[in-house]
Amino acid sequence: MKLLAKTSLYYLLLSIPILILSGFVCYYIVTKEVKDGNNELLLIRSALVEQYLKENDTISLQLISKSGEAQIKPISKFNLKAEAKYVFADTLILDKKENELAPNRMITSNISFKYNNYQIKIWRSTIEFDELVEGILYLLIFILFFLFLISMLINFWVSKTLWKPFYKTVNSLKEFRASDNELPYFKETTIREFTVLNNSLAIMMKKMMSDYNSQKRFSENASHEIQTPLAVIKSKVDLLIQSENLKDYEMKLITGIDNACSKLISLNKSLLLLTKIENRQFKITETVSVEKIIDNSLLLFEDYIIANKIVIIKNIEEDFLITMNPDLCLILINNLVQNAIRHNIENGSIIIFIKATSLSIHNTGNDEPLNSALLFKRFQKNSTSHLSIGLGLAIANEIVEVSGLSLKYKFISNKHQFTLSIK
Amino acid sequence: MKILLIEDENELQKSIKQYFEMEGNVVEVAADYGKAEQKIAIYEYDCILVDITLPNGSGLDLIKKIKLKKSKAGIIIISAKNSLEDKIYGLDLGADDYLPKPFHLSELNSRVKALIRRKSFDGNLEIVVNEIKILPIERSVFVSGKNVILTSKEYDLLLYFIANKNRVVSKNALAEHLWGDNADQLDNYDFIYNHVKNLRKKLLEKKCEDYLHTIYGIGYNFKTAE
Repeated sequence: MKLLAKTSLYYLLLSIPILILSGFVCYYIVTKEVKDGNNELLLIRSALVEQYLKENDTISLQLISKSGEAQIKPISKFNLKAEAKYVFADTLILDKKENELAPNRMITSNISFKYNNYQIKIWRSTIEFDELVEGILYLLIFILFFLFLISMLINFWVSKTLWKPFYKTVNSLKEFRASDNELPYFKETTIREFTVLNNSLAIMMKKMMSDYNSQKRFSENASHEIQTPLAVIKSKVDLLIQSENLKDYEMKLITGIDNACSKLISLNKSLLLLTKIENRQFKITETVSVEKIIDNSLLLFEDYIIANKIVIIKNIEEDFLITMNPDLCLILINNLVQNAIRHNIENGSIIIFIKATSLSIHNTGNDEPLNSALLFKRFQKNSTSHLSIGLGLAIANEIVEVSGLSLKYKFISNKHQFTLSIK
Repeated sequence: MKILLIEDENELQKSIKQYFEMEGNVVEVAADYGKAEQKIAIYEYDCILVDITLPNGSGLDLIKKIKLKKSKAGIIIISAKNSLEDKIYGLDLGADDYLPKPFHLSELNSRVKALIRRKSFDGNLEIVVNEIKILPIERSVFVSGKNVILTSKEYDLLLYFIANKNRVVSKNALAEHLWGDNADQLDNYDFIYNHVKNLRKKLLEKKCEDYLHTIYGIGYNFKTAE
């Protein structure tokens, strides 16, 4: 759930008890106001009736009695002093029009005048309380609904405009790679929280990039420094084997050294290559014909193909032309072809599909699909071959990444399929 | 042949010098920019092997100096940097070849031989070793005047053996020569064995003397002298 949706939900939930409380308050205030208003009016009327009585204005008195809202009756003197002058009361009186009992406010006053005593009752219909409750309830529901609507609109607007910088930041984070060596541009925002976020992220990214760069520089320098002593060892081995009278046992030792040295050299070369690709040091690009490179590659490895009796089937629809660094393209395709040969079985097959926008190499091999999560990671050996150093596909993947290509692995009908296409 | 070796790594310098001197070449050594500059100014060489990263300067600037002097010396860059830019720039400046370190001495030797051949006779030269005659332009081989049909790899091997004749060439060096950077990824000793076997058979069929000797476990020696 979105943060905004959640906050407005809490907001709405919280507004319900507040609304109920305000309903009670509302009820209390309305009833009180109505009561006070009625009392005042009744007092005025009662005073008026007293006036009429004093003036003996029988016509007005009759008029008031006829209105059905007053009753004047003489009472014995005995009762007069016992009661207060004015008494208010709520009472139910039959409404003749609607033929039901309706709530009324009534004033009762006793007056004595020229030895005559009167009791005056004046009443006035007041609001029906159940109707009041109903009205308040409707109002509250309307307010709740309105609040809900407003909060939805605000949500929509807020997420559209207010949160825009946040989503922009998140998007640029997704695309951030320390190896790109480029700080994403955060659009300036007037919202302090987002500015703080952007600033902290920028600091973190700068740190990541500098860490990455120093690590990269380290491995690059290390590889370069290792190169020279390796060259020395290699040259010394070359000289050592020239000496006469070497015994078989000594020859074996030398071969062991030579092989280990060669392996170390190739490992170091591969690591250097990876660093160089990451450093984007292969800048020159030209249009490369995949078909030509495939043919050269097959020629290069023909010994292995013949020795393992691997059948090569080429399926060419149209030449796949890529604009990329030619050396990297060569390394990439050689690695893929070599991979298809190395992990093949005797009497196996390699089917090569070349289309205008893709190259697909399908080969027989192990009956199990490879773990595609680890496939392109460095030093992942899927074969038991002692010759493999496990960098071939990592290099291929790195080349693909810097060249704007895509390389995908699939295992379909017992064939390992690597497909290279333009992203 | 007179060779100038510009290389600051002492041990590598010694190895290269020793390897080339075995064949009676004269090898002079310069370990830094200043010394190299002096030697280039004073002497003439057939071939100059130059490292790019040197104390007090860059090998690339030395190449400029060599070219300014209109020297006929062949130039081979030997560099640990193996950078494409350096290679392109170096070749643009007039270097003839670029060999990244580490390399086999036999590979360097074969490159030097090929370069000298190209330089001195525009490549239009026959390579003659006793009864064997090679025409590099046509990539054809004759034994006592009779044409021997070789595959591309057998031809490359023969040329390599002859460049390094009377020298033990390791199988690793051969693999690198034939397959380049892809050599170490696949098990190729069997293939080398087969190619050498076939080459030897084809030469022997034309009544060529058996020059190719197998050195147990290590490689081969193309022996023309006892």
